[in-house]
Amino acid sequence: MSKKKSSTCFVRFDEALCTGCGSCMRVCPTTAIRIKKKKSIRIVDQCVGCGECIRVCPESAVSAATEDLGVFEKDHVAIALVSPVLYAQFPGVMPKDVLLGLRQMGFQHTIDMSYFLEIFQYATEEFIKRNRKSPKAPWPLISPVCPVVVRLIAFRFPNLLPNVLPVLRPVALMAREVKSRLTPEYSEKGKDVVLYYINPCPTKRDPTCLSSRQRPLSNEIALGINDIYPELIKHVEQIEAADAIPFYHTRFEYETCATGNASMWAMSGGEIADMDIDRSLAVSGMEETISYLEKIELGLFQDIEYIEFRTCREGCLGGVLNAIDKYLAKSAVQKMIKRFGLGRRLHRDNILRMYAKGEFRSEKKPAKLTSLFGAQKEALSIDSMHKIEKVMEVIKGTDCTACGAPDCRTFAEDVVRGNAALKECLFIAARTSKKG
Amino acid sequence: MSKFKKSFHIRGRDFIRAGEASINVQNLLKSMDFDSRLIRRVAICGYESEMNVVMHGGDGSLSLEVDTDKLILEISDDGPGIEDIDLAMQTGYSTANDDHREMGFGAGMGLPNMKKNSDQIRIESNKDQGTVVRMIFFLPGGEIRQ
Repeated sequence: MSKKKSSTCFVRFDEALCTGCGSCMRVCPTTAIRIKKKKSIRIVDQCVGCGECIRVCPESAVSAATEDLGVFEKDHVAIALVSPVLYAQFPGVMPKDVLLGLRQMGFQHTIDMSYFLEIFQYATEEFIKRNRKSPKAPWPLISPVCPVVVRLIAFRFPNLLPNVLPVLRPVALMAREVKSRLTPEYSEKGKDVVLYYINPCPTKRDPTCLSSRQRPLSNEIALGINDIYPELIKHVEQIEAADAIPFYHTRFEYETCATGNASMWAMSGGEIADMDIDRSLAVSGMEETISYLEKIELGLFQDIEYIEFRTCREGCLGGVLNAIDKYLAKSAVQKMIKRFGLGRRLHRDNILRMYAKGEFRSEKKPAKLTSLFGAQKEALSIDSMHKIEKVMEVIKGTDCTACGAPDCRTFAEDVVRGNAALKECLFIAARTSKKG
Repeated sequence: MSKFKKSFHIRGRDFIRAGEASINVQNLLKSMDFDSRLIRRVAICGYESEMNVVMHGGDGSLSLEVDTDKLILEISDDGPGIEDIDLAMQTGYSTANDDHREMGFGAGMGLPNMKKNSDQIRIESNKDQGTVVRMIFFLPGGEIRQ
């Protein structure tokens, strides 16, 4: 039996606030949630960190397993790794001013992602170009950017793991650059460095950690955008009002500059819009993502080269840890694109030289990914399948969810696996009491 | 009890829900932890045949039978039937209309694709008497728990 707890490595759960309403249970894409004794519990290994339960909980009993801003102390060198979604939270404000606000909050370095997004785009284009002629390439390729999608595939669609593009995710490229350039400089001086990932969703706590079974590192901390927003907006407002903006010394281009191209990544379609790929699609939303993945498994969409999936509607700006509404944020992004235009700063030739050396290749092989997630459930035998059908016939249910399982089929499976008792079904209980 | 059988309804002309029966079959096989390549073959055959029912047939059903040594996929419908089965099996032969082609179907690959992905295929059909397609996938042994 899988381990059950109220919290997982992606979400934190406050039992006192839970009323057992079951909203979270009904939206969980991996049926990881049950209601037992009027409290929600989670099958830990099945949590993919999508954050849908956080989104729907009416009592705010579920929150992201990010760190509190309280841990932000000045005894170490703090480096902020900024998702471009952050800029979309401040309509009309220049990205550089948002980064300046972060520096005033006490971050010594602010790393903007646009540089790494461009590297990723060049590497992706090159991979597709080189593999186009090979009939062995598993089309369509699936974007590795949204980690929830990768986990969802490992969990529900393992057949599709070979379709996941084997290029390092932008956030992993960013972390690698910081760790190889900035961290050693401070380490030589005997200073501790802590990386703070500022994220729109509960899932990107450590860019290399895809599975819940991997332990996060203590010097890498995830902050939700909504964790830092109240403090950050004060600084941003001051900066906007000031006549003279204080000058901060920065050494790397990626500490200050953001592009229109990068801000577009916050929206669904932003990853592929500027890519040099013939046939690509952008799909957003959990239901739509699952429906497309099901169809790809049936052999459809083989004429498409690349599909960008985001499980949040409208893309990352629909993430649960954002500070402002996704449509307001989208409008802010569109204004930014209009202002900055699209266009890349990096030169293709430089990136391709690095590509040739294999610097962007993801070493996460499909088999390894599968092993990280492992077999979540024991396989059902023919006998168990018969039993499940029998239970379904006895229940004659309506997916009412009163038993604490998201639907009758899942309940029947729980019964057969010995994780639930038949009498927990209200339909059955009512019928037996009538007879009795 | 050695066999497990379950069937799913297919609604003719319902292009929105087309594929659901195959997805259900696929999910069943996944929960029984069959080899992923085998599941893919069954899924492709299921989808191709399901689309044939949706395009040409009336109502129909897709059933999966899990036995210890084989899987059997059977698709039946009450549609127009196939006049010349040998002709229908030829790659590129199609009776799809323009509407079907606009949606990307009707390349004449359906039946050949099913033949390629299954170990045995049998088609029973007569004009105006519906069609039954039965495909068998042999299990090399040891996959199934009793």
